Amino acid sequence: MADGINTSPNYFNALTAGLWKENPTFRLLIGMCPPLAVTTAVKPALTMGLCVIFVLVCSNMVISLMRNLLKPHLRIIMFCLSIAAFVTVADLYLKAFAPDMSEILGAYVPLIIVNCIIIFRAEACASKSNVLVSILDGIGSGSGFTCALIILAGIRELLASGKFADIQVMPKGFVPWAAMQMPVGAFVTLGLLIGFAAIITAPKKD
Amino acid sequence: MSNISVLIMAFLSVVIVNNFVFTKFLGTCPYLGCSGRIDTAFGMGLAVTFVTTLSGILTWLVDHYILVPNKLEITRYICYIIVIAGAVQLVEMYVKKFFPPLYKSFGIFLPLISTNCVILGICLFINIWGINNLPEVAVLSAGAGIGFTVAICIMAAIRETLKLADVPPALKDAPITLITAGLLTLGFMGFTGMIK
Amino acid sequence: MLSKIKFFMQQSWLLLLASFLFGLMIAVADTAWKPKVEENKTGKVKNMMKGLINANSFEVAAKDVNIPSDKGFIKTDIYKAVDEQGNVLGYEYITSGSGFGDKIELIIAVDAKCEKYLGYQVLSSNETPGFGDKIKGDYFSKQFVGAPAAEFTLVKVGKAEDIDNQIVAISGATITSTAMVNIFNKSIVSVKETLAQKGLIK
Repeated sequence: MADGINTSPNYFNALTAGLWKENPTFRLLIGMCPPLAVTTAVKPALTMGLCVIFVLVCSNMVISLMRNLLKPHLRIIMFCLSIAAFVTVADLYLKAFAPDMSEILGAYVPLIIVNCIIIFRAEACASKSNVLVSILDGIGSGSGFTCALIILAGIRELLASGKFADIQVMPKGFVPWAAMQMPVGAFVTLGLLIGFAAIITAPKKD
Repeated sequence: MSNISVLIMAFLSVVIVNNFVFTKFLGTCPYLGCSGRIDTAFGMGLAVTFVTTLSGILTWLVDHYILVPNKLEITRYICYIIVIAGAVQLVEMYVKKFFPPLYKSFGIFLPLISTNCVILGICLFINIWGINNLPEVAVLSAGAGIGFTVAICIMAAIRETLKLADVPPALKDAPITLITAGLLTLGFMGFTGMIK
Repeated sequence: MLSKIKFFMQQSWLLLLASFLFGLMIAVADTAWKPKVEENKTGKVKNMMKGLINANSFEVAAKDVNIPSDKGFIKTDIYKAVDEQGNVLGYEYITSGSGFGDKIELIIAVDAKCEKYLGYQVLSSNETPGFGDKIKGDYFSKQFVGAPAAEFTLVKVGKAEDIDNQIVAISGATITSTAMVNIFNKSIVSVKETLAQKGLIK
């Protein structure tokens, strides 16, 4: 291997760590804005998740490629620059090919730039490991994030309108819970889900 | 007169009615991380207010006088983030050199907050709302920071009391904070419609 | 001086190179997708207009009309909906007013004689979910379809099925309902005047 830090890069581990063990939303509690803001319905949540995967994979790849050339004090600005560039591309793509989604997500697409997940992965993984590991890590963390978004959005959409991804699921007599569409629904659902995640992992720790 | 009342309205609207934490979910990470004690929360809030004001005005100026006349709107996000990162770094150096006691109390938060969503958020929303005069931009960006300070201080005060409460073990720390924040948003929803 | 430049270049060549490459990438993406983005922007309004009046084409009937709203005047265009044979089917215009949460932007359609409303579409709004945002639903919007283009009054109890000048408010969202009625009432007079001036209606 070209790099000295990761002598035996574990590709499988890089891919799966982000899914549960280091799941950004449920376990690490970073990048909390999008899970709260864009999860009123499944479709925008999925779009957001895909955007984050794209940006995460691309920026991880670029940073990993130039990791040996980076001057330490210019590191953060380099991260910001590459992340912002890929977010701009993602934003343009959404505006061109998914205008509805672009409108719903609004300012939350450019806000991916300051999503802690991306800069955290750049710092913790991409600036130390080779390209393949970084890409796998990006896919893993991104998918973990997307799953979290979809779970949250699924619960909220189901209770708020009786639909899942715009398909009617609940029986006709179901009274929608309007509160789930409001900010309170986002906060409480996410709080309970994190608590649930803590219950699942608790026995393993002891 | 009417100008001043517009500014007061804008300020109240961004601090209370459209509070960034409660209605736009921006700055949730530090909101969860730094709201354990009221003095750290207040320090964080002050640092954020300082930087939002500065970078809100700077990004608006850059946008208005450099990007739009030259039709470079496409590079907006990159310019914003670089201006913000630069502003944070400048503030840090300045405070460290000239106000050492102040640096001791909130300087440690400064490097953290270049990735605070509130800051990029206010810059983007000023652009989306299409604000086109400097006083309003200044008031809005300061207001966003103050709104964040208000939110994080309320939360810190609640959490200090919550430590004594009997919370189920799984819900300790972050989950109960999120649920409390949810109830707070309900309270803040009562302000909607206050400002036309 | 030269050594300073050399030091500077050594430190930042990667940054400069990366900026150049990223700039290139964004420029390519922008040139490739810009026409599509522009098309989407106009396409959305066009589609909504088509949803109100199924016309073949929309022509600008009056440009930059000043329509009163609660915050002074808004400049907007009045569009003429024309079918394949060139018959005028109606007129549409975009207007706005303050709702409960934020601005409500509407596309309003009137018939060719400007005597009846043909309905409205919500272009943008930020009303409370479950209450105010029912303005997008059928219950509220159907009340306007076919209603005479004159002053509306808002009532709290009444039959929503009756198409007349009484609009039944959404329960729990009186402010939003009032705002909607106001938007209609404030704009219609000047729209009628403008169209009459142009000789398009009597």
